[in-house]
Amino acid sequence: MLKIQNLHASIDNKEILKGFSLEVNAGEIHAIMGPNGTGKSTLAAVLTGKDGYEITAGTVEFNGQNLLELEPEQRAQAGVFLAFQYPIEIPGVSNANFLKAAVNEIRKSKGEDPIAPNDFLKLMREKMALVEMNKDFISRSVNQGFSGGEKKRNEIFQMAMLDPKLAILDETDSGLDIDALRIVANGVNKLHTKENAFVVITHYQRLLDYIIPDFVHVMYDGRIVKTGDKSLALELEEKGYDWVKDLENVTM
Amino acid sequence: MIQELENILPNIQDEKQKASLQKAIALGVPSMKQEEWKYTYYNKILQQGFTPSIKFQNIDIEKEFIDANSVSSNRIIFVNGIFHNELSSLVNHPKINFWNANNISESTSKDFLIELNNAFASDGVFIEIGDNVIVDELIEILYINTSSTNIINLKNKIKVGKNAQVKFAEYYINYDAQPAYNNVVTDIDVAEHAQVEWYKIQDGGIGYNITDNTSVTQDKKSVCNVATLSFTGAISRNVLTFDVNGERAESHMNGLYLLLNDEHVDNRSLVNHNVANCESFELYKGILGGTSTGVFNGKIVVKQAAQKTNAFQSNRNILLSNDANIYTKPQLEIFADDVKCSHGATTSQIEDSELFYLQARGIGKEIARGLLVFAFGAEVLEKIKHEKLRKKLQQRIAELLKIEI
Repeated sequence: MLKIQNLHASIDNKEILKGFSLEVNAGEIHAIMGPNGTGKSTLAAVLTGKDGYEITAGTVEFNGQNLLELEPEQRAQAGVFLAFQYPIEIPGVSNANFLKAAVNEIRKSKGEDPIAPNDFLKLMREKMALVEMNKDFISRSVNQGFSGGEKKRNEIFQMAMLDPKLAILDETDSGLDIDALRIVANGVNKLHTKENAFVVITHYQRLLDYIIPDFVHVMYDGRIVKTGDKSLALELEEKGYDWVKDLENVTM
Repeated sequence: MIQELENILPNIQDEKQKASLQKAIALGVPSMKQEEWKYTYYNKILQQGFTPSIKFQNIDIEKEFIDANSVSSNRIIFVNGIFHNELSSLVNHPKINFWNANNISESTSKDFLIELNNAFASDGVFIEIGDNVIVDELIEILYINTSSTNIINLKNKIKVGKNAQVKFAEYYINYDAQPAYNNVVTDIDVAEHAQVEWYKIQDGGIGYNITDNTSVTQDKKSVCNVATLSFTGAISRNVLTFDVNGERAESHMNGLYLLLNDEHVDNRSLVNHNVANCESFELYKGILGGTSTGVFNGKIVVKQAAQKTNAFQSNRNILLSNDANIYTKPQLEIFADDVKCSHGATTSQIEDSELFYLQARGIGKEIARGLLVFAFGAEVLEKIKHEKLRKKLQQRIAELLKIEI
């Protein structure tokens, strides 16, 4: 599904990704862990097409398409989703209207008609239940006045609504209390199928108690320095990130 | 213009009107050399061929047209400056009279447009809301223009009694997409403990010009909110003055100018805090695209007697195009020492990070921009306390931004 090869990316002439490679197949959950400042969020930004990054080398293929050539909205329409670390607030635009715009733009890109209002409402209700959102949520403005936990739940809810092929969760667990963490993880687990894949970027192991990854990658200094199964996450938790610095030369 | 005014002078019978016309002639047409006209070229309106006149013609408009432009059953309708009785309706109506030169007290203004209005006002509403009267239904005033080269002068005088509550909306409407010019003067007198909402909706379309002078006088414990929303039109100049004369009064001034083509909107406001313990809140937001121009000049004056005044003013703008302009000047003059006042102005563009968030959900740049602009303006729409009108305005803004909400 996703094939990243030797990706190099810079921001303001500072190289952040230094030969990052990763392959993700349908049905898989990958966790990317690593200390702060190793390029985890840059990876998420580059994959989803945020402005300001220069790709100096490497390729990213998504279902046979060159992902790097596409506009951010085209990537989303192709089935890439990013759950933001810091979701923005959009006062005056209700969650319902925001998502209706998104759903219909994605449908339009596939040559489909806009969703019927009743179907849309039904879909919203169904997916809201998944992340335990209150009914008033439909008419509330996007993320306005939301707590940190509500914002993250909203990201997962949006993911459920848009039904992506590949979802990248950028530190979705940061700032969540244990209840919110459980709701978020539960949402992900329910959405996970053989047809889609997840890349979970996280700083801490605790999210991986709830979302069980098939692979755990340790990222350091702009690339993956070690890959293992879920036990690697536990090892990291125990030994801390200083340990990976010594692994820098050990590649997968 | 001045020559035309001099030619009309002998035809005016009423002494007060004559005196006003003489004053207007002496003051002369506003010039960009005057500080308060620095950014607005008044002659540009006159160059479109508008002339003052004392001859008017009443024209018929279909009821359907009115219905489409209205959200209330309380309607006061002027067509080309003349009250239209059949189309107007007042349910649960307050005491209402129409303009009459005898009702005008001697003018003390030094303003050309106010004197022009005194001299030529064809009509206007005199509404008195009695003490303790609560008017539930919004009172709408529709100024409909159709193929007139007359400068339409309308004069409104509103008196709101003690403890009374009332909401008004003024709409500037073009019937046939021909150029139009309205010069409107409104005085609103808000008695003790009364609550008044006054909304100005300026959406006349291409070639529609407005010069507006609105003065509010507030007595103690009253609340008054004036919101000015400008969307389409040619030149629109709004002068809003609040005189706060009673303690514990609350004054609200809100504005939203969403200009996407070549509109020119000049909003000027002045709040005179004359007594102690009052509050004023001012929020004007501008969205400027195309080759449009916005001007904001907001002045708060806190007199020496006005201790414990809280006055807040904010003007925030976003520019959508390189060819759009905004001139903003917040001013504070404080003569009292125990006050809380703040003012500020910002001009920015749509944040890339916000745009990216929407794009990352599959929404194309244009619609994403539209949604973010809508979000920026939403704060001002929240100040419209009449739900039906607020929803209608939201839909109108969405339509202008080509988004669905």
